[in-house]
Amino acid sequence: MPCIPATKAGRRYVYRLAPTMAIYLVFLFIAQWSFHHLHPTGFIVYVLAVLPALPLIGSLIVVGLYITEESDEFERSILVQSMLWGFGGTLAVTTIWGFLEDFAKAPHISTFYVYVFFWIFMGIAQPFIRMRYQ
Amino acid sequence: MKNRLRILRAEHSWSQADLAERLEVSRQSVNAIETGKFDPSLPLAFKLARLFNSPIESIFTDEE
Repeated sequence: MPCIPATKAGRRYVYRLAPTMAIYLVFLFIAQWSFHHLHPTGFIVYVLAVLPALPLIGSLIVVGLYITEESDEFERSILVQSMLWGFGGTLAVTTIWGFLEDFAKAPHISTFYVYVFFWIFMGIAQPFIRMRYQ
Repeated sequence: MKNRLRILRAEHSWSQADLAERLEVSRQSVNAIETGKFDPSLPLAFKLARLFNSPIESIFTDEE
């Protein structure tokens, strides 16, 4: 997770994100355990499949709240620039991988990894963006 | 954008951290503004002007 400044908004971000991630782990466990042991069918399959995604969507809302609440415009700018690199990097990798799957028989990657790529690119970009201002 | 923040800060014997606390921003923010690498918004520029009791144009100049 990219480093967040020790501002009030930054602390709120951490306090909100930590339970979101804990809920994700619980929901993931519930979904995996249910599919392995209960073999659900019908509508409940969709509910259980979507369950782990809900806290991850929540984590994106937490980031949005941080941007809204952060009064330090420099820190806000750093995070927004990092997110742009996150979006750009994710789009680049998934576009390239899509063509590799279509034309070069590359193994299929779950679209869930779009979320992972976003955080990885955002996390890598942030220290470099900070360095530009030192 | 060039500015006289370092001089004004020195006149008040404030560290970057002192100024950051008064502006309610991070020390990195003060450093980025002071070195001219980050241009503050108008509200933050006015806050600086009030803090140093100087007009904005005497703190910031639009030279590159």
